This record gives sequence, structure tokens and C-alpha cells, in this order.
Amino acid sequence: MSEQSKKTAAQQPSVHEKMAILSELVSWFQGASFNIEGAVDKYKQAETLAEEIEKDLTKLKNDIKVVKQRFDGDA
Amino acid sequence: MENVQLTVSDFVALVNQTLEFAYPSVTIIGEVAEFRVSQGKWVTFKLKDGEAVVECFMTTYQLRIPIEDGMKVMITAAPKLNPKWGKFSLTVRSVKPIGEGSIKKGFELLKAKLEAEGLFAPERKRALPRVPSYIGVITSSESAAYADFCKIINERWGGLSIEVAHTQVQGEPAADQIIGALRYFNNKETLPEVLVIIRGGGSAEDLMSFNDEQLARAIASSRIPTLVGVGHEVDHTLADMVSDVRAATPTDAAKIVVPDKNELIRQARQQATSVGHQLVQAIDHQSQRVREQLDSAYRRIHERLDDAFEQLGVLRLAVSQLNPEAVLKRGYALVRGEASPGKTIEIETQTTYIEAEVTNVRAK
Repeated sequence: MSEQSKKTAAQQPSVHEKMAILSELVSWFQGASFNIEGAVDKYKQAETLAEEIEKDLTKLKNDIKVVKQRFDGDA
Repeated sequence: MENVQLTVSDFVALVNQTLEFAYPSVTIIGEVAEFRVSQGKWVTFKLKDGEAVVECFMTTYQLRIPIEDGMKVMITAAPKLNPKWGKFSLTVRSVKPIGEGSIKKGFELLKAKLEAEGLFAPERKRALPRVPSYIGVITSSESAAYADFCKIINERWGGLSIEVAHTQVQGEPAADQIIGALRYFNNKETLPEVLVIIRGGGSAEDLMSFNDEQLARAIASSRIPTLVGVGHEVDHTLADMVSDVRAATPTDAAKIVVPDKNELIRQARQQATSVGHQLVQAIDHQSQRVREQLDSAYRRIHERLDDAFEQLGVLRLAVSQLNPEAVLKRGYALVRGEASPGKTIEIETQTTYIEAEVTNVRAK
């Protein structure tokens, strides 16, 4: 991973963080601070997050590396 | 050699040299008898069959699976004549139970020992991270179990950094290699969040490396939480008993170590949909409240109007009662003009106007 992409990746919330934000949004709808004026924006935010999570999860690939070291005898 | 005179020491050295050359390593199968451990360090026993017996010697460190009298074992050893005691014995490098009964016995003995030390205690078990980003895997990278593990993990989650330590997973070097790999991961500057040890199914003998005492201890003392999936559902090894989490199979290990992204996508969609439903519900609720408020305002206006009409009725009645016509209707009359004798006055009744002359006026 390049430094630039590392930086960009660091700025972006992870899928897990996005899931947490989405759960917070759901809680907001069920909580005391709910108000109809803010609800539409929050709904749009939730919808966008759900789409992003789906996109992130679909495109992410695993990086599998086999260690070169041999483990004969005392490693 | 008949005419060569040797000292006892030279003779013993010669015998040992010959033995070392002829039999550097022998593998012998036999039954254990008179098994002893002295000073917690030295192990002695006899290996016998129906017709012969041989003394064996080894250190406790080399004894990877407990043995006891009557167990059938296979040893790898070097024959030696002890110069101090003049006794022939086998210096044993490794010993492993042979046959289902002995393997089971060895397993039960070590299980009881580790259990007594509390190595299987539930309170020792650590939870695995819900979504790890860095995983260490110890397995044979050439095995079908590893291929299955990778397939399932790639299907279920992405963005993981997976480091795989290739080791043998059966045979004599397997336990030591896995211990080496455990040490490798535990000594890394950045530790994996979870260590997965996997191996596919096999016979009890194939899985025996995972019942090795030192391997069990290495897993139990790992700084990194461990997930062990060895063999099939029915196979239980000491390695999975001491691990933080046991997986029934390597495939199961892949399912345990990461969540299913499809399930998460479904959850995310469901959450967004539920938020949508809640928004619609909130709008409905708000509309309902507005409707109720309008209804209430309408009812209030009606009430006020009714009140006003009622008051108007009362006033109308009062006004109607004050109307002179109403008084005339009751038989009274209105008199207009000057009430002085000789003057003419006008008298109005309900139906007539009467002109009359005043003849007399007197005080009442």
C-alpha cells in the first residue's frame, strides 16, 4: 500500500466504524433527540452509509502472504 | 581383536563407537514396563515384547506425551553401553504411543494433567476480536484445509492482512514447527489480533501432533488469542482444548474468525430500511398530530360560535321584551301629548290610535 493511499485510507472510516455510525443513526431515530426536521437528513445519511458499506465490503480483497521463514527446530 | 588387550573404558568406548556407527538411530516398538521419573528430570522404563526386554532412558523434556506401564509405544533411540554402570540401554529421543488404545491412554493422561493445572479453565479463555484486520495462520499451506479456509474467508470478508506460517501438521517435526511458528508470531513487533491453527481430518495418529504437551503449553501461553480448528467435528485434541476458541473444522475456523460480509450488507440494508420506516412513521405521527390539532381548533371554534349564538339568543329575547310593541300586545297603551286639562293627547294601543281631551289631572 502506498503512503498516499495509506493516508487516504486512514482518513476514511472503516467498514466497522461505518456500521457503528449507522447503528447510532438508528438509535437516534428511536431516542429522545429525534425531531422531524432532522430526520430526513439522517435518513439520507443512513441510506448513503448502507450503500457505502455494501460497496466497501464488496470491493475489499484480502492480502494473504506466506511467511518465508522455516520453522524447523528452534525458531 | 582376540590378542588385543583393552582397558574396560576402551572396550566400552569401542562398543559405543561400533553401536553409533551401526545403529545411529533405531525405531523400536514395544510395551512400556517399570516406568519411572526421578528428580522430575530423568525418565527410565523398560521396553519389552513377549521374549525380550531393553532398558530405556530419556529426559522429561523429550517426553512429549505421558506414558505409563502397559502402553504400546514406538521409540526413536540410540543404543548405548553406559560406562559408569556397565548397563546396556537405549537413549530415547522420542516416544509416541502406538495403536488406538495407547494413543487414547496417552491423550487421557495428558488431558488430566493439563486440566489439573487449569489450562482448560473457561476463565482463561479470551474473546476473539469481532472483526480482526490482521490474522496469523499456522498450517500446511499445501493442504486442502488451508485452501478451504482461504476460500471461505475470502467469501466472507475483505481487507484482511493474513500472514501464513507454513508448517508440517503431522509427523514428528510438526509439533516443534508449530511451536516455532507460535513463537514467531508472538515475537513480532506488531502482533496479529488472532492466531488460527488449522489442520484437516485424519486418523488419531495423524492428529497426534496436536496432543503434544509442549505444543499445548505453547498455545496456552500465547500472547495472541488463539483459534484452533483441527480435524472433524468429532475430533478433540489438546491443542483445541487449551485454545481460546475451538473450531470444529478449518472451515468452521474461517467462519468464526470473521463475520459474513453478506450478512453485514443485509444488516446495513435492513437498518437503512428500518430508518426509512421510522421516518415514514414519524411523518405519519406528525401529520396525525397536526390533524388532531386542527380538529381540536375546529371544535373550539364551533364551541365559541355556539356560545356566541346562545348569548345572541338571550340578548334577542331581552331586546324583544323591551320592544314597546310587545308591551302594547300585553294590553298596555302609550300616551303622547301634554297632560293638562283642555289639551289633546294621543293614546296608542296594539291596534288603534285614540285622540282624547284631558279633562282633569291630579297628583297620585
